[in-house]
Amino acid sequence: MTIPIVPKLLRAHLSGLAGKNARIDGRSQWEGRKIEVEHSVLPRAEGSARVRMGDTIVLAGAKFQLMQPYPDRPNQGGLMCSADVRPIAGRHWEAGPPSPEAIELGRVVDRGIRESGCIDVDSLCIIPGEKAWQVILDLFAVSDDGNLFDAFALAGIVALRNATLPAERFEVGEDYPLPVSKTPIMCSYHKVGGRFVYDACAREELGGDERIHITLGDDDNVHSLQKGLKGIFSAEEFSEIMTNAQGRTKELRKIVDSL
Amino acid sequence: MGGYGDMQMIDENGLRVDGRSPGDIRDITIETGVIPVADGSCRMTWGTNEAIVAVYGPMEAHPRKIQRQDRAVLDVAYNMAPFSTTDRMRPGFNRRSREISKVTKDALESVVLLELYPRSKIRVTIEIVSAEAGTRCVGLTAASVALADAGIPMTDLVVSVASGKINDVVVCDLNKEEDNYGEADLPMGILPNSGELVFLQMDGDLSQEEFKEAWQYNMDAAQVVHKMMVEALKRGDSQ
Repeated sequence: MTIPIVPKLLRAHLSGLAGKNARIDGRSQWEGRKIEVEHSVLPRAEGSARVRMGDTIVLAGAKFQLMQPYPDRPNQGGLMCSADVRPIAGRHWEAGPPSPEAIELGRVVDRGIRESGCIDVDSLCIIPGEKAWQVILDLFAVSDDGNLFDAFALAGIVALRNATLPAERFEVGEDYPLPVSKTPIMCSYHKVGGRFVYDACAREELGGDERIHITLGDDDNVHSLQKGLKGIFSAEEFSEIMTNAQGRTKELRKIVDSL
Repeated sequence: MGGYGDMQMIDENGLRVDGRSPGDIRDITIETGVIPVADGSCRMTWGTNEAIVAVYGPMEAHPRKIQRQDRAVLDVAYNMAPFSTTDRMRPGFNRRSREISKVTKDALESVVLLELYPRSKIRVTIEIVSAEAGTRCVGLTAASVALADAGIPMTDLVVSVASGKINDVVVCDLNKEEDNYGEADLPMGILPNSGELVFLQMDGDLSQEEFKEAWQYNMDAAQVVHKMMVEALKRGDSQ
């Protein structure tokens, strides 16, 4: 990813807007963009989703393969989550091996899903020590207008919830739906013009500072946190966005449950 | 070609495994403007193939050493998403995708008026998110629609179609089973207004007569697909 030259004018503009409690696209501080979620959109994936948040569009596809369980965990299958942002998604994303930014994206989403325990890895074991399922969740950016993190996390959990284990194709029994017991949801906040906003668009990311990602589970339990980019934030600021995340994750979970 | 000559792929009525006649193409949908942040884009489904293409540019070509003083450089990348195939595709470039990127670039360079944009770069990214058979054809066709959507001047659109042979019958637009077990595959990139070619590959075994028949199937299909491409571009413009 090439780092675009941050125009000083954009930073000044964003900070002027923040002073008037306004945002560059007319939203209020905690207002998210319009969200559209579809599932089962990819014919070759065992579970899939397309999420659109404003002009940010992502795909998630779940695939399964058989693995030998790790020697220290003979009764468990595996879960792997990887993100790739290819040049299709925006002019500043370049070809080549996954950039540090894309790797961070995949790993933060992975932690939220893994640590929530929504997938029971014990249930993925077929023969202890010999054969187990590996779930591979691939996240793919189609259009990056900011906040790929939340879009990826949302598409990821929707793809898993709609996934079917292809047991017949691998000759280990009958196909069955992947059991997903919880719905971890990520909410991301960016420091723009000196204060945090929810669901930043690309221009806010470009002219903003640090970002914080929070993944909460069904009971408001915290499953993953990540601070990214240069910037300093206070305990008060964090407490404010954590409170906001508690409300917002509930709204998003309703969308996921209604599918 | 798999060359499983004894696999029955044409029934007693002359119909193919998916019910098509030998000259029929699969269902196609074309949509432009699907990537809001791109200068031009196209989503094309062709059977259960799905390609998404973004065009960025003309923009500054950097580093400067890649710049050409007399024309724009075209940067074309074809890639299959990991979830596009039955068995997960390991991410990253491989020899196949590099070759397809190259021949697609060669085809598009033949129609894009690159000399209008000296020292700049036009980037075309083709992503296959669902693969059946004939992804290079879908990718090239969708790329020409995305370039038109971006307003890049071209001498013509490019329509790419493949015909082939199964059970000694020449058929148009091979599907997955036919591609796996067929005896020949002839993908072509056709300029629909002149009937000229900018892309040609072939592998398998065709007699001179069969070759002519497959060639004609591709030419006829190109006219059908071209109409849909023009309609999609007009629809996109009116939105």
